[in-house]
Amino acid sequence: MIIIKWIKESFWRHLVAWAVCFFALFPLYMIVLTSFKKTTSLQVNSFLPTGFSWANFNSLLNNPNIPYFRWMYNSVVIATIVSVVSVFIGAASAFAFSRLRFRGKKTGIQALLLIQMFPSVLALSAVYVIMDRVHTFAPAIGLGTQGGLILVYLGGAMGVNIWLLKGFVDSIPLELDEAARVDGASPMQIYWRIFLPLASPVLAVVTLLSFIGTFNEYILASLFLSDINSRTIAVGLQSFISGEFESNWGPFAAGSILTSVPIVVVFLSLQRYIISGLTAGSVKG
Amino acid sequence: MRILSGIKIAVIAKIILVSLALAILGLLMQSAFMNGDVQIGSFLAVAMVLIALIYFTKISIPMKFFLPGLLLLITFVVVPVVYTVSMAAYQYKTGNKLSKPEALAMLQKSDAFAQVPTEPRYDLKLGWCDGKYGDAKPVAGPICALVTDYTTDKYFLATADKFTVVPKNLVTFSKLGLPNGVTQTGAQPAWEEFYPDEYATYDKLLNATRFKYDKPGMFMKAEGYSVMAVYAARITYDSKADAFTDIKTGAIYKDNGKGNYANTKNAKDVMTPGWRAVVWFDNFVALFTDPSISQPLISVFIWTLVFATTTVITQFALGLLIAIVLQKKIKARWLYRSIIILPYAMPSIMSILIWGGMLNTDFGAVNNLISLIAGHKIHLNWLTDPTLARSAVLLVNLWLGFPYFYLISSGALQAIPAELTEAASIDGASGGQTFRRITLPLLMQMLTPLLISSFAFNFNNFNLIFLLTGGGPRDVLGGASAGATDILISYTYNIAFSKGTENFGLASAISILIFVVVAAISLYGIRRSKVLETFA
Repeated sequence: MIIIKWIKESFWRHLVAWAVCFFALFPLYMIVLTSFKKTTSLQVNSFLPTGFSWANFNSLLNNPNIPYFRWMYNSVVIATIVSVVSVFIGAASAFAFSRLRFRGKKTGIQALLLIQMFPSVLALSAVYVIMDRVHTFAPAIGLGTQGGLILVYLGGAMGVNIWLLKGFVDSIPLELDEAARVDGASPMQIYWRIFLPLASPVLAVVTLLSFIGTFNEYILASLFLSDINSRTIAVGLQSFISGEFESNWGPFAAGSILTSVPIVVVFLSLQRYIISGLTAGSVKG
Repeated sequence: MRILSGIKIAVIAKIILVSLALAILGLLMQSAFMNGDVQIGSFLAVAMVLIALIYFTKISIPMKFFLPGLLLLITFVVVPVVYTVSMAAYQYKTGNKLSKPEALAMLQKSDAFAQVPTEPRYDLKLGWCDGKYGDAKPVAGPICALVTDYTTDKYFLATADKFTVVPKNLVTFSKLGLPNGVTQTGAQPAWEEFYPDEYATYDKLLNATRFKYDKPGMFMKAEGYSVMAVYAARITYDSKADAFTDIKTGAIYKDNGKGNYANTKNAKDVMTPGWRAVVWFDNFVALFTDPSISQPLISVFIWTLVFATTTVITQFALGLLIAIVLQKKIKARWLYRSIIILPYAMPSIMSILIWGGMLNTDFGAVNNLISLIAGHKIHLNWLTDPTLARSAVLLVNLWLGFPYFYLISSGALQAIPAELTEAASIDGASGGQTFRRITLPLLMQMLTPLLISSFAFNFNNFNLIFLLTGGGPRDVLGGASAGATDILISYTYNIAFSKGTENFGLASAISILIFVVVAAISLYGIRRSKVLETFA
């Protein structure tokens, strides 16, 4: 009887969970399998591991033609600068939208929302033209430089980050800054002394989301950075399997794993905060 | 005694930071102006004035918070977007990329020549001009042509850079009455005809020589050894009428107002290159009236809707199913949960590329798995068959997105008060009834805004399509510009950036269309979630 009850209540749940886990894990398993093969090809003769080899990791890390660490370094530096600076700047705007009273606030928010809805991929060529012109008089931040890419990312991140941060900031209770205002604090003092310390966990989460978003960006980076040593990891790894290096699936698999593991670990450990960020303002009933 | 209070430190920090920003922008502005880029230079100047004004005066306190973000947003988002949008009113495509003066200069440089129909065709004798009659022949001087117009009985001597009229009395004639020599008199050189073998020897030189003619813009060229014809640039430009004339066909090309000089008798006959011209709504009209544009656009639009809708439904359905399954505290729930979040935690760019490899027909893991289950080799052309490619895109997107919906659904399920479902079951409702009548409606009410924003996101899910299928498979033989899996944004990207057939004006028009659709959907979503209510 207990078994029947167990089957009725729990067994099917395990069955479904197993099936979905299989679906979720299959590509990840394949990439692990491919990375530890001896060959660089995509072909799998058996779904069970037949041998074990570091060959692909070796060629990824020690081949002088594949600047993996350089790419990884580029990606981390670019994503870090973009996420930290854009959240720092975005937080000020979010604070103003959420806490200050001024004319045109509603219009401002609506304009911010609208401009985000333009398919940004299509503004690419305009960005390209602008940065090409900048390159002629300021070679350090023009087209083809990481500095220029960072600037463009910063601009692009503004809309999303302000919007996301505003959602968070709205959920921080007003009482504290009202108390401070009563005590005669200026908006600047409230921002630096009260708001920023209070919001720091929230800022950290948005920074992380922004970091992952920048890390994942492909099209701008591929347009901007043509020099092999200045590429980001996304563009670099993509070039493994799209001709330039012939189909180097083995090293690609190895590279994907090395790249993804840190991100996945951080994501899983902070998932509670991240999820609350993604759904901010909506799952409140 | 405290010399510096906290406020003073803050003020000093502010002054240093703002000055630093101004100094950097100032340097940039200076080099922009020095390089002649007035637009960017002025833009930077305005930015500097704004910064100084906002941070050193008390004009607007909110602006102190907004300015850095606002400047970045304007420079790298608003300006490019406005530029792109304005391009929709232009004829701006391959062949129409220059400004009008640039295009005009290129057209005038054209080196196509044609015979001038209004000039006579002359009789020709070839020979040498230097030396006196009967002298030893020069080794290789410029070829000198004795040109005769029998209709008017006029004689001329022409080299590449000299054209002289020869009085008839200086010309000597053979027994047959043909001219065979010119006597030297004063500045008038003597002329002596080629020996027969010299015609072949100097054939190449003759072909390369343009003989001078006495009318501007015209020159003569030998046709064979006995006819001299007058040539001029085939196309001549009249700056007063702003029109080109083709002297060969007589056709007149006038500015058609759409970025080209077009034949006044045949509008389709245009000169290239053209230029970027303002055509106002032509690009939009073409979207709906030109079948070669509107037909692929409609099919792409339908697929975009199908793709975005199906994606949201499948992701939500699977996510909700898992959320319900794992709602009960079963064994190893945390493990299931962690595994299911993995696809969401992976950098999506990696996942998409990995799936691309797994869907390979010959080597891919997906076909291998299906073959293993079926027991024999199965070759499914995941990325080259239109229907399979569409299914593949949906499958991969399901994998990428269902964990997100699992996470938000499980959050929403917890937010539904247990009393409601308990009350329903006390009233005798079955599990299914409770779910359909109580849980699902409440869930939908909470999640609709997120479903809508997910729809808007997938409507423009460029990375997935671009990196997985590239919009293909494309019917290259059928000449189709739209691939089977192309969604609006990837299709538009192709129109704007594909080498050789770029049409930026049209792409901008479509992007405005996309913008309107997405904005409408999102605004509807926002109204549902009532986000803006708090600011009213």
